[in-house]
Amino acid sequence: MNINRIATIAGLLIIALWPLVVHDVFYQRVGALVLLAAISASAWNLIGGYGGQVSVGHVVYFGAGAYASLIVFTRWGWPPLAGAPIGVAVSLALAALVGTPTFRLRGHYFSMATIAAAELVRILASNWDVTGAAVGLMGPPVPRSVWDFSFTSPVPYHYLFLAVLLLLLWLTWLMQRSKMGFYLAAIRGGDRAARSLGVPVLRYKLYALLLSASFTSLAGTLYAVMVGFVDPESGLGILLSVKMVIIAALGGAGTLFGPLVGAVILVPLEEATNAMFGGGGTGITFIVYGAIILFVARFQPGGMAVIWRALTSRRKNRAA
Amino acid sequence: MLLEATAVVMEFGSFRAVNGASLTVTEGDIVGLIGPNGAGKSTFFNCVAGDLTPTSGTIRFKGHDVTRATPEQHARLGMARSFQVPVTFEDMSVAENVMVGAFLRHGHRNAARRVADEILAFCGLDTLANARAGSLGTPGRKRLEIARALATEPQLLLLDEALAGLTPAEVRLAIDLVRKIQQRGITIVIVEHIMEVILSLTEHAVVFHQGKVIAEGPPRQVVDDPGVIAAYLGGSMKRVRTQIS
Repeated sequence: MNINRIATIAGLLIIALWPLVVHDVFYQRVGALVLLAAISASAWNLIGGYGGQVSVGHVVYFGAGAYASLIVFTRWGWPPLAGAPIGVAVSLALAALVGTPTFRLRGHYFSMATIAAAELVRILASNWDVTGAAVGLMGPPVPRSVWDFSFTSPVPYHYLFLAVLLLLLWLTWLMQRSKMGFYLAAIRGGDRAARSLGVPVLRYKLYALLLSASFTSLAGTLYAVMVGFVDPESGLGILLSVKMVIIAALGGAGTLFGPLVGAVILVPLEEATNAMFGGGGTGITFIVYGAIILFVARFQPGGMAVIWRALTSRRKNRAA
Repeated sequence: MLLEATAVVMEFGSFRAVNGASLTVTEGDIVGLIGPNGAGKSTFFNCVAGDLTPTSGTIRFKGHDVTRATPEQHARLGMARSFQVPVTFEDMSVAENVMVGAFLRHGHRNAARRVADEILAFCGLDTLANARAGSLGTPGRKRLEIARALATEPQLLLLDEALAGLTPAEVRLAIDLVRKIQQRGITIVIVEHIMEVILSLTEHAVVFHQGKVIAEGPPRQVVDDPGVIAAYLGGSMKRVRTQIS
C-alpha cells in the first residue's frame, strides 16, 4: 500500500470518528464547520481548481442555497432542507447567466466579473423583502419535527455534511479520470492549445461551473439548516467567496483532497482566533487570510499538495 | 483537393498581413511555406487553422467551407496543428497530454490511453510517457505537440516552425518523424525558415513575401527563382545584379 492511500484512509477515519472521540461541543462544532467549508471549497475547486477559472463570486450560489431554504420556511413553512432543490435550480440558472458572458474573459478579468456579479446579487438581496432585506431570514426557532433537522448537538450535522462531502469527492474523482477531467486540465493549461485539439472550451467550462454551483448551493442550504439564520453578510458576503478560494489554494487547487486539507487547517485557525478575541477577532481573520494569500502566492502556488508530494517522493528516493 | 485557400486577406487595423494569398493542397502532399520574416506565413497559417478569421477570402477543407469555423471545429473535421512556440499542458504528464488529443475521437479513458500509447511509441516518446510535460526541453515539447496533434487522428497536419530552434542532429530526427507521419497517409503543411528542411522534405514549396504568394513549385526550382532570391536578399534583382557587376 502506498503512502498516499494510507494517509487518505487515516485522514478520512479521523474525520469520520471525530465527533465520537471528542466530547467537547466546541470541538465537535469545529469539526462540522470544517466539513461544511470543505464542501464549498471542493465545489469551487471543480471550476476554480480543475478548470483554472478563478471565480471570486461563488458566494452567489452559496447564498442561493441558504436563502432558498429559509424562504421556503418563512413563506410556506416547509422544512429548510426542502429548499435544497430550489437553491440548486436557482444556482444552475445563475451559473448559466453569469458563466456564458464571463467565460469569454480571461484571468483577472474573469475574476473581477464574478466579483461584480456577486456584489450585485448581495445588494439586491439587501433591498428585497422576500430575502428579508438587510435584516435577513430566520429558520424554525424550535424544531417542529425531525425534518427540520434542527439539533443542539453538532454531531448529526457532522454526518450529514460528511455524506455530502463524500458524494462530492466521489463525483470529483470520477470526473478527474474521465474525458471531462482531461479537458478541464487542458483548458487550465491553455485555451488556445486546448481548442486546437478539439476541446469545446466554453461548453466544458460551463459544465464544470454548473456542477460546482450545484454543490456550492447545497453547502449554502446546509449552512442555513445548521445556523438557522442568513443575512446579506453571512449568506452573500464577499469574504465567503474569498474563503473558498483561499481554502482550496492553501490545500492545493485542482487536487481531490486539497480543499479538505485546506479546510482542516484554516477553519480551526479561524475558530481559535474568534474564540480568543471574541467579536474583535473578525479583524484577525482578515489578517490570517492575507498572510495565507501571501504565503501561498509567494512560496507555493500549488498549496499543501505540492509540499506533500515533495515530502513523500523524498521518502521514496531514500527508500530506493 | 484536401485544402483550398482562395484570395485570403487578413488585416490588423490598417495593416495587411496577408494580401490575397491562395494555396491548394492535395491529399498525401508535404507542402512547405517559406518566406522571409514578416512575410505573413504564420498569419496565413493561423487563418487556415481557424485561429484567425480572415478579413476576406475563403478556405475550404474536404469540401467544407471553414473560413469562419472555430479551431475546435477544424480539429473535429480532421485538421490538427502545432504552435510556433510550443504550448504543452505543463502540469500533465506526457501521456496525459496526448490523451487530451485522443479524447476527440475516443470518449473512454482506456481507449484514449491505447491510442496515446500507440502515438507515443510512434513519435519515440514512449520512454517519457510518465514525465511531467513541463520537464521537457524544446525538442521534447515540439515532439509532444506533434504527438498530441496526431492523437486527434487528423488528415491534415499543420506544422508551424516545428523544427525551429533545434540543433542539426535534432532537425534530422524531426525530419525523419515528419516523413513517417506522411507515410501514415497524413497530408502535411509546414511553415519553415530552414531552407535545408524544405529542400529535403517537401515536394511543393510556396514562397510568401509581403503577404502574397510570389512563387510556387518544386523546391529546387523555387529557390532559383529570381523573385525569391530578391525577396530573401532584399531589393530588386536588377539592383542585385548591378551591385554584383
